[in-house]
Amino acid sequence: MKPTLSKHKKKDFKPAAIIAPLVALALLYGALEIIIPLSGINRIVLPTPTAIIKVIAEAFAADIWPHFIFNVKVIFFGFLIAVPFGMLLAAICSQFNIIVKAVSPYVILLVVTPMITLIPLIQLWMGSDPDIRILVVVIQCTPIIMLNTLTGFTTVEQSKLDLARSMGASKLQTFIKIIFPNAMPQVFTGIKLGCIFSTIGSVTADFVFGMQGLGFKVQQATKYVMTEVVYGSIILIALIGFILYKIVALIERRIIVWKK
Amino acid sequence: MSIKELSKSFPVKKETLKVINSISMEIASQEFVCILGPSGCGKSTFLKILGGIIPATSGNLILEGEDLGNQIPAQALKKFGFVFQNDNLLPWRTAEKNLSLTLEVMKLKDEKSKARIPEMMEIVGLQDYMDVFPHELSGGMRQRVGIARALVHNPEILLMDQPLGALDAITRKMLSYELLSIWKKTQKTIVMVTNNVEEALILSNRIYLFSPLPAAIVKEFQVDIPFEERNPEIVGNASYRSLRDEINALVRTY
Repeated sequence: MKPTLSKHKKKDFKPAAIIAPLVALALLYGALEIIIPLSGINRIVLPTPTAIIKVIAEAFAADIWPHFIFNVKVIFFGFLIAVPFGMLLAAICSQFNIIVKAVSPYVILLVVTPMITLIPLIQLWMGSDPDIRILVVVIQCTPIIMLNTLTGFTTVEQSKLDLARSMGASKLQTFIKIIFPNAMPQVFTGIKLGCIFSTIGSVTADFVFGMQGLGFKVQQATKYVMTEVVYGSIILIALIGFILYKIVALIERRIIVWKK
Repeated sequence: MSIKELSKSFPVKKETLKVINSISMEIASQEFVCILGPSGCGKSTFLKILGGIIPATSGNLILEGEDLGNQIPAQALKKFGFVFQNDNLLPWRTAEKNLSLTLEVMKLKDEKSKARIPEMMEIVGLQDYMDVFPHELSGGMRQRVGIARALVHNPEILLMDQPLGALDAITRKMLSYELLSIWKKTQKTIVMVTNNVEEALILSNRIYLFSPLPAAIVKEFQVDIPFEERNPEIVGNASYRSLRDEINALVRTY
């Protein structure tokens, strides 16, 4: 019997996954457009979605764009450094059980420590150069990526290691051909968490450093009661994180075909 | 292959658990030997020692007259192919890539070795499933890919650890006759671990019955059923019935 085309080669395009959230957005948009004016809520508290779009569109090129692109740069480069760095640290640690035991509690400690408490110290040590915020993103993302990758590297089924031994695989071959690909689902969990953490890190740094970034824009617009700009900036920050997350999820779906 | 007084112990808390107790056996070329024993008796551990996965605590493994000590060294593993109980395929590799893993690890890059991938897939009847991922295959098909993977580097000895154990009864029966045909086609020496008496009688030339923990050879049985009579009608064979009854009677005494 000739098999049908392998499932992984088929496009698993699900229109409902795109249409359903768009319909939900349209419904929310419409509801807010009707409810806000009818209930008499002041625009200072909650502007209508159309008002937010109008103000942001008008201010975008001159006022919002430089802050937006600054955050994109900080998140992108921070993320780009944190992913291989976190994976490399996990790979080194996984080779020695004693190192895993020694560093795990401190990595967890770093993950749970609110970044906002560390940024003033980073500023004290490194100065106020705007690009220092990339370091903040790296410090925020690396531990979570490392922790997840390390879990992947250290929880390999014994039968897979037995398979490697039965073939006479060296330690390096076992790592490259078995341990690393086997850990990919956990690696991607770490990277996806890294997307979220990098956005948080970047905006938190804006709040402390000031002068640049959408986090700073939120602070500034709040001070001048430009509520539409506040909401617009928040939406843009969320969009950066969302798009980054979606790109990673797309890559994950292409690579981890066996977990669909 | 000769096995001389092989023993294996594991440290359990502060004590030592003896799993294999001084087993010796001779395995001739192109023989199909079954190791039969109750669950948890140490027969899989025994096979893992033969496959170089774990070392023995004491004893000697002699391959083609060469004493390899208590563990098969990595360079000698090319002579062995190992089939695991739960297919143990790598889910991120297609069937073809699962087979090529063995060649990659053993650094067999020549065309002749590569040509064995489709050859072995054909022997197990899955030549049309080269690009298929394990999760797209049935349990029986996955196990057949596992057998093809163990054969791809042209080993001399095939070690099978309960290869049919995780399959449903119908697939199990079907695949056991397929194993017989694979053995006939490939002319390999096969050592298979099983806890199924009927399976052992259908497939093997010789059966070693192991005792419960620590495993020791209780008895060796010669299975003299002609190859052509090893089919679904085997139950009518007098030799089959007498061996089955004798082994079952012995197993019941455990």
